[in-house]
Amino acid sequence: MQETITYNEKIAKVIENINRVMIGKEEVATLSLVALLAEGHVLLEDVPGVGKTMLVRTLAKSLDCDFKRIQFTPDLLPSDVTGISIYNPKEMEFEFRGGPILGNIVLADEINRTSPKTQSALLEGMEEKSVTVDGRTLSLAKPFFVMATQNPIEYEGTYPLPEAQLDRFLLKLTMGYPSLEDELEMLERTSKEHPIESISPVMTKEELVSIQEEVRNVYIEKNVQQYIINLVRETRNHESIFLGVSPRGSIALMKAAKAYAFIKGRDFVLPDDVKYLASFVLTHRLILTSEAKYDGKTARQIVEQIVKQTFVPIRREF
Amino acid sequence: MNNVNQQKIPFIFTSILYISGLVLFLEWLYPVKQITDTEYIGIFVIYAIFCFFISILQVKWWLSFLLKGFGVYFILNGVFSSYNFWSPMWFQELYANFFYNVEALLARQWFELTNMFRTFLFLIIIWLMSYLIFYWFVQVKRIMIFSVLTFIYITLLDTFTVYNAEWAIFRTFVIAFIALGIANVLKEVQSENIPAYRLKTRPLWMIPLIFIVLFSSIVGYAAPKLEPQWPDPVPFIESAINGTGIGGGGTIQKVGYGDNDSRLGGSFVQDYTPVFTAFMKEENYFRVESKDYYTGKGWVNSEQGEYVEQVGRDITFRTFSSTIETEPLHVSLDFEKTANIPKLIYPYGADHVETPKTGAAFWLDEQTGEIATKVDNKDTSLETYEISYNRPSYPLDDMRESGVTSDEELLDRYTKLPNSLPSRVAELAQEITVNHQTQYEKVRAIERYFSGNGFTYQIDDVAVPSDEQDYVDQFLFETKIGYCDNFSTSMVVMLRTLDIPARWVKGFTSGEKIEDNVDGEGNDFYQVTNANAHSWVEVYFEGIGWVPFEPTQGFDAPNDYAVDTDNQDDVLDAPEATPEAPEQEPQVPEQEAKDVFSPSKEEESKFDFTWVHGTIIVGVLLILLAILYWKRNRLRTHFIERRMMNKKDAEAYQDAYHFILKLLNQKGFQKDPDQTLREYAVRIDNWFGTDEMGRLTANYEQLIYQQNVNNPINEEVSNLWKNLIKRILG
Repeated sequence: MQETITYNEKIAKVIENINRVMIGKEEVATLSLVALLAEGHVLLEDVPGVGKTMLVRTLAKSLDCDFKRIQFTPDLLPSDVTGISIYNPKEMEFEFRGGPILGNIVLADEINRTSPKTQSALLEGMEEKSVTVDGRTLSLAKPFFVMATQNPIEYEGTYPLPEAQLDRFLLKLTMGYPSLEDELEMLERTSKEHPIESISPVMTKEELVSIQEEVRNVYIEKNVQQYIINLVRETRNHESIFLGVSPRGSIALMKAAKAYAFIKGRDFVLPDDVKYLASFVLTHRLILTSEAKYDGKTARQIVEQIVKQTFVPIRREF
Repeated sequence: MNNVNQQKIPFIFTSILYISGLVLFLEWLYPVKQITDTEYIGIFVIYAIFCFFISILQVKWWLSFLLKGFGVYFILNGVFSSYNFWSPMWFQELYANFFYNVEALLARQWFELTNMFRTFLFLIIIWLMSYLIFYWFVQVKRIMIFSVLTFIYITLLDTFTVYNAEWAIFRTFVIAFIALGIANVLKEVQSENIPAYRLKTRPLWMIPLIFIVLFSSIVGYAAPKLEPQWPDPVPFIESAINGTGIGGGGTIQKVGYGDNDSRLGGSFVQDYTPVFTAFMKEENYFRVESKDYYTGKGWVNSEQGEYVEQVGRDITFRTFSSTIETEPLHVSLDFEKTANIPKLIYPYGADHVETPKTGAAFWLDEQTGEIATKVDNKDTSLETYEISYNRPSYPLDDMRESGVTSDEELLDRYTKLPNSLPSRVAELAQEITVNHQTQYEKVRAIERYFSGNGFTYQIDDVAVPSDEQDYVDQFLFETKIGYCDNFSTSMVVMLRTLDIPARWVKGFTSGEKIEDNVDGEGNDFYQVTNANAHSWVEVYFEGIGWVPFEPTQGFDAPNDYAVDTDNQDDVLDAPEATPEAPEQEPQVPEQEAKDVFSPSKEEESKFDFTWVHGTIIVGVLLILLAILYWKRNRLRTHFIERRMMNKKDAEAYQDAYHFILKLLNQKGFQKDPDQTLREYAVRIDNWFGTDEMGRLTANYEQLIYQQNVNNPINEEVSNLWKNLIKRILG
C-alpha cells in the first residue's frame, strides 16, 4: 500500500527526524503529520511502551513547538487541563496559571482513565480552539495539536470516550510493535544516548502555521469529493453499521486527504489519498451493529470492505 | 531446456503426434504410383514406416544412421540386383552404377540417371523426411505448415491429375486436425509448466477432440456439395495454351471461332481475347463460312469442300446478284499473333484482297464461301490484309416480290431437314407465318418471333440436347434460353420447313468501335474479340441472292436496304425502322447491334440475382466484417490518435487513456473498480517490465484531479501512449 514516498521538502526533514528516533514508524509519523497539517488531532490506541510519547516528543522537538503532557488519572480535574487562577498574595490578586492545554503539542496520555468531565475539558478545547477558565475565554496556541492515547487492554476503571466525542479526532492510529530488525536497531541506537537528545528543530512554529494555510489550498476535484461522499454515504447504508459516519467525517476525510497530498508533494488530491486514509479517518466514527460485533467484525474490516466496493473516479467532466 | 520439457510429455502423446506425421507423409507417397511411372510404391511405404519407427525410438544417432542406411542398401539390392547383398558382385554393380550416375549428374544429363539411382535418391528423401517430421511434429510441435502443404498437394493432384483424392482428403483432414489439437494441448502444457502426469491420468481430454474432428469430417463428407462453380481448369488451361477454338462435345466451351459445329449447345466461358482489329467506314458482319446440313444436333457440310484458287486475289464468291446496288468500300484487318484462323474473314460483297505476305494464296470453297488462306500450300493465318468490297443495299421491293426459286438443286439443298425433326417445329413455323403471304414477310415474321415469346439470350446454363432430343426443338419448346447458335439454327430450320431456302452462316460481328473517324475520312477502328464470334442466317431470294437475317436477340444485322422513298410501307417493314416490333414486344427493348457476349448495361439489367450471388455477397460482407472486427483495435487506435493529435484537448486525452484501459481489459488485465489508476499502473508496469503506464498515468492524474490543466498532450504523452498501445497489441 505504502508507495515510495516523495515528500514535500520541509515535511521530509521532519519525517527524517522522527525516523532517527522512531525506527520503522514512518507511517504513523506521516499520519501524525497529516493530522497536524490538517489542524486535526490524533487518537493513538496502543499498549504502553511502544513509543507513543516518544513520537509526540520528537514531533514537538522537530517543529520547535511547545510540548505539554497530561497524564490522565481518575482524579484529574478539568482545571488541571485548562489551568487555574491562583491568588498571588504579593500582587494581592488572582493570577492565571495556564494548564497544559495551552501548549502547541499536547500529549494526552491514557485519556480514557480520567472522568468524562475532565475528558470534556480537553475535547472542548480541541473543538473550539479556545477554553473558558474563570469566565475568561482564552484562545489556544497556534498551532495546536493534541495526541491522545488510550490503552485498549485495560477496561477496569476506565471511562471510554463516547462516540460523539471520538469524532473530534481526525485520525485514530495504532503504533504496533516494531519488527525484529527495527527493535534490534532501536536497542543499538539507544544504548549510549537517546537519539531524541540529538535532534534539533527543523521548522519553526510560523512555518508550520503557513504550511497549514497551504494545505487548506490544496485542490480537490469534484470527482474526488464525490468519491469521499460515496464512501461516507456507504457507511450509512451498510448492514453491519448501526450508526454511519457524519458529515463531519466527510469533511475530516477531505482535510486529511489534502494534508496527505501536500505531504506527498502534490497540490491536488488523488483518490489514492482518500482510499489510503479512509480507514484511519472513518473507523472511529461509526458504530457497528451488535450482530456485527458478535460476528467478530471490526470497524476497520467494514471500512475496508466499503472501500473495496466503491468505484474510484477515473474520469472528469470537462 | 527443450529436452527437459520434452521428457515431461508422456511418450504415448509424442508417438501419437509422430504417427500422425507418418500418416500424413504417406499421403504424399500414395499418388506417386498413379502420377508417375513408379511401379512398386509398397517398398517406399515400408521404408518410410521403417525410418519413422527408428526415429521414434530415439536411438543413438549413429545407430539410427546405420539402420536407415542399411535399409536403403537392402532395398536397392533387393529390387535391382540378383546377387546377395553381401556378394562382392553386388558391390561392383553398385559402385559402377553410382559412378555412372555421378558422371551423368555432373554432365547434367538428368534423363540418363538410372532407375536405381533415382530410387536411391527417393529413399534418401524419405529418410530426410523422417527427420524433418520428427522435428516438426515432436520437437517444435508445428503441425500446421505440413498439414496445409499436404492439403495443397492432395487437392492439386486431385484437380490436375488422374489421382482421386476423395478419401485422401478425408484421412488428411481427420489426422491433421487431431494432431493439431493434441500438439496444441501439449504446447500449452509445456508453456504453462503443468505437471505432465496430469495428462497421463486424464487422457479423457482427447475424447472431445477426436469426437469433434470425426463429427465435422463426417458432416463435411455427407453434406451436399455444390457442383464445381468454375469450369474444370484443365481444358481451360489447355485451350489457353493451344489457342482459340471451340472444343467439341464439352458442356462448357470457350467462346470463339471454331470449325466443328456438329454438336451445338452448352454453356460458354466468356473470352475477350482480341482476334483482330478492323479499320472500316461501315459496320459489317464478317462472314467466314456457311453450313448447309442440319443434323438435329448441329451443322455439317453435305459435301467435302472443293477448293478453287482465287487467281489474282480476286474473290469470285458472290452471295448476291450483280444487279444489286452496291457501294465500293475498303476494310483493313490486323490479326493478333495468337489468332489462329487460316481463313479469310471478309465482309459481304468482298471483291479483292491484298496482303503483304508473299506467297499467300486464297482457296475458295464455292459451297460454303470458306476461303482458306495458304502460304506455300499450307493453311496459314495471315497477319494482315485489306479487302475491297462492294457493300450491298438489298432492294426491299424486289425482296417482297421475290417468289419461289426456280433452282431446284439449290432449293433441295437448302431446305433439307433431318427426318428426326419433330413435327411441332414445322407446325410452329406455319402458325407464325399463317397471316403472311410472301416469302419476305414470312422470313421477317420468323425473325421477329425470337425477339419475344419468352426467349432469353444467355450464354450460361444453356442446355445440350440429349441423344433423343433435337437441338432446335429443345430450344423452341423447352428451354427458350440460348445464344446466337440457338437462334440462328432455329430460324434456318423453321424457314426450311416452309420450303424457304436458308443457310446457317458463321463469322464475326464488327466488334467494339474503339476509335471514331481515325483518319478524318470516316474510317473507324474496331476491336473484334473471341466474344464477337457469331452465327446468323442467310435466306435466298430469287433474283437477289442470299440476304443475311438476324434472329438473335440484341443483334441487328448491319444491312443496308434500298427503299423506294415513295413506298412508306416498305420503309416501315425495314428492320431498322419497324415500329411494331418494340410495341408488340415491349419487354424486349430494341437494341443497338452489339457484341454477342460483350457485357452491356442492358445485359446487366437482366442479371439474375440468385442465391449464389447472395451467398457470395454475404460471404464477402462477412469477411469484411471479420477483418474490421479483427483490426478494430488498430483502426480505433488510429482514429483516437488522430483525434488526440488534432484536438489536443483534455477530452480527447481522456478518451485515449480510457482506450488503453479498454485494450488492457481485453487482454485480461481487468481493473478492479476500487483500484486507483496508480495501483493499476503499477500492476501493468510490473507485467510489461516498464514504467510507461506509470508515467502516462501520473500525467493523466494531473488531467483529471488537478485544478488547472493546460495543454495536457505533449510529445512525451503521445509517445508514451503509442508505445503502450504497441506493447499491448504486440
